[in-house]
Amino acid sequence: MDNTKKILIIGISGGLAQILAKLISQNHPEWKIIGVDSRRVNKVEALDNLSAIRMRYSRGNFEALFREHQFDTVYHLARVSHITQFYKDLTKRLELNVMGTNRILDLCLRFNVKKVIVLSTFHVYGAYSDNSIFLTEDAPLRASLNYPELRDVVEMDQICSTWMWKHQNSINSVILRPCNIVGTQISNTMTQYLQSRFAIKPIDFNPIFQFIHEFDMAKVLYRSIDELPTGIYNVAPDDFISLGEALNLTGHKGVPFPVTMASLFNKVLKFSNLDIPEYLIDYLKFSCLIDNRLLKKHLGDDFNRFKIDETLKLLKY
Amino acid sequence: MDLKYILDQIDPRLSDKDLKQKQKVIASLRKKYADYKDPWGFDLDLIEQLLTIALPLYRKYFKVRVFGLENVKDTPYILCSNHTGQIPIDGFLLTIAMAYEFPNNPRVIHGMVERFLAGFPFLGSLAARSGSILGDRENCKWLLEKGESISVFPEGVRGISKSTPDYYKLQTFSNGFFRIALQTKTPILPISIIGAEEMFPFVYHAKPLAKALGIPALPLSANLIPLPSPVDIYIGKPYQLPKDLSFETATNEEIRKHIYKIEKQIKANINIGLKSRRKWMGLLPSMKTKIENKHG
Repeated sequence: MDNTKKILIIGISGGLAQILAKLISQNHPEWKIIGVDSRRVNKVEALDNLSAIRMRYSRGNFEALFREHQFDTVYHLARVSHITQFYKDLTKRLELNVMGTNRILDLCLRFNVKKVIVLSTFHVYGAYSDNSIFLTEDAPLRASLNYPELRDVVEMDQICSTWMWKHQNSINSVILRPCNIVGTQISNTMTQYLQSRFAIKPIDFNPIFQFIHEFDMAKVLYRSIDELPTGIYNVAPDDFISLGEALNLTGHKGVPFPVTMASLFNKVLKFSNLDIPEYLIDYLKFSCLIDNRLLKKHLGDDFNRFKIDETLKLLKY
Repeated sequence: MDLKYILDQIDPRLSDKDLKQKQKVIASLRKKYADYKDPWGFDLDLIEQLLTIALPLYRKYFKVRVFGLENVKDTPYILCSNHTGQIPIDGFLLTIAMAYEFPNNPRVIHGMVERFLAGFPFLGSLAARSGSILGDRENCKWLLEKGESISVFPEGVRGISKSTPDYYKLQTFSNGFFRIALQTKTPILPISIIGAEEMFPFVYHAKPLAKALGIPALPLSANLIPLPSPVDIYIGKPYQLPKDLSFETATNEEIRKHIYKIEKQIKANINIGLKSRRKWMGLLPSMKTKIENKHG
């Protein structure tokens, strides 16, 4: 039965998706992996059982893909980040993240996919000074309260949750809300920030962060196929660290700066189009820590291999 | 001799005995918290620095006396205290007392801060690193389950924005802390603090300004620096939690009965404290006998 298993990874050009593909390939060389992305796929590492396809994310293209391959598992790792060039265009992000996700989920149902695994983010909870520690999966998603530009992130998560419970008897679905994923293969904002010599080190706030190594995250994604039942799971290690200490571990001590002034500077930068999304500043002020008990219940206490200090030290190289 | 006594009273330097005790407290704290880490950024180095700065204020300026040390055992507590003074210096002194007065087993008491402070630049971070956290039920639960003790002032801001005629009059306690105690099965230590009301004599409560600034209260005083009012801290006997009450099903009325008993215990110690309180400053030699501190 396993011989015929077909896996779809949406967003294969991403570093995390490639680690995942490699992990699946190593453990199940008999499975067939189809990776799609709207970005270039020529840099995707070649694997015997992986076909990387570049395609425009459109309803027609996805429908043709689902019709051609009877996928057993679909990984949706293609959330358009609010940090990318699109971040200012909320309408475009809503179209891709919310409407696009909705279409993919419907196709999964129509073509009898057995399991859907969606990568969301801990950002959905929002960074607030009154955040309780270790937010559980049922905590309110407050990210878009202060910053409407985060609407797509929250709505994508919510649309998946609603869909998941509605169709729980027909299809297994897992939504993962990981903490900051860092590693040398993924080029997300947090990794770039930690590797930057000019990273802002807040002197007026001391936020606490959780970091998971990209390999551990890929392993959670991989194990989700068989070991996580339908549900929403926060993904974070037990350990946490202050941002100041994290910067010290990566070898770049950071540039001490009052984050309170950052908003002001950002307004000036707006004129040169170099500004960063305002809500990111809040993540440098306030902690948003997530609870991992539900995930550990299924994957065990030692689901992650890298300790937080190892994860950060590895960014040095 | 009297001059020497007066000079000693205004000398901010700690005595050799105090310095020795401070060193012992710091060594014990280092041992106790060697592996402790909390999600708010607890920083033992900062606590050591704060203790070094604050101890002269505690010993020489506010001349704090602590009674009822024998009521404290080696177990986590919820310290439940009356709130006095316009700025919560009472909480600060209580925290020092729970470390300094127990050199063999000091503890860092985790105070609760208001929401507005948690989001304040510098101050929010300083509070978190020194062990004070946002007064949230989950936060308290986490600390108590880790074997830490917390302090609560269930009068809330009503306790620190009292006008002069209401000094030392307890305001109605909120229920939240008792539910946390029931949930975590943590005994409650009733604390009565005398002396802090007079540090900032009340002039006016600038409610509209407080509202505009988004802070819960803004009582104004004529002085910017606290007056050197001597402070007495009374630690009552731990309040034993009822075994038949569940934190989930207990009604507010059932909880109020117990809170009333705790309030009564705190009030009784306030009355004892008010009768035996020391005069302000205590510099005059004629008052020397009244300033006999438990610790010399």
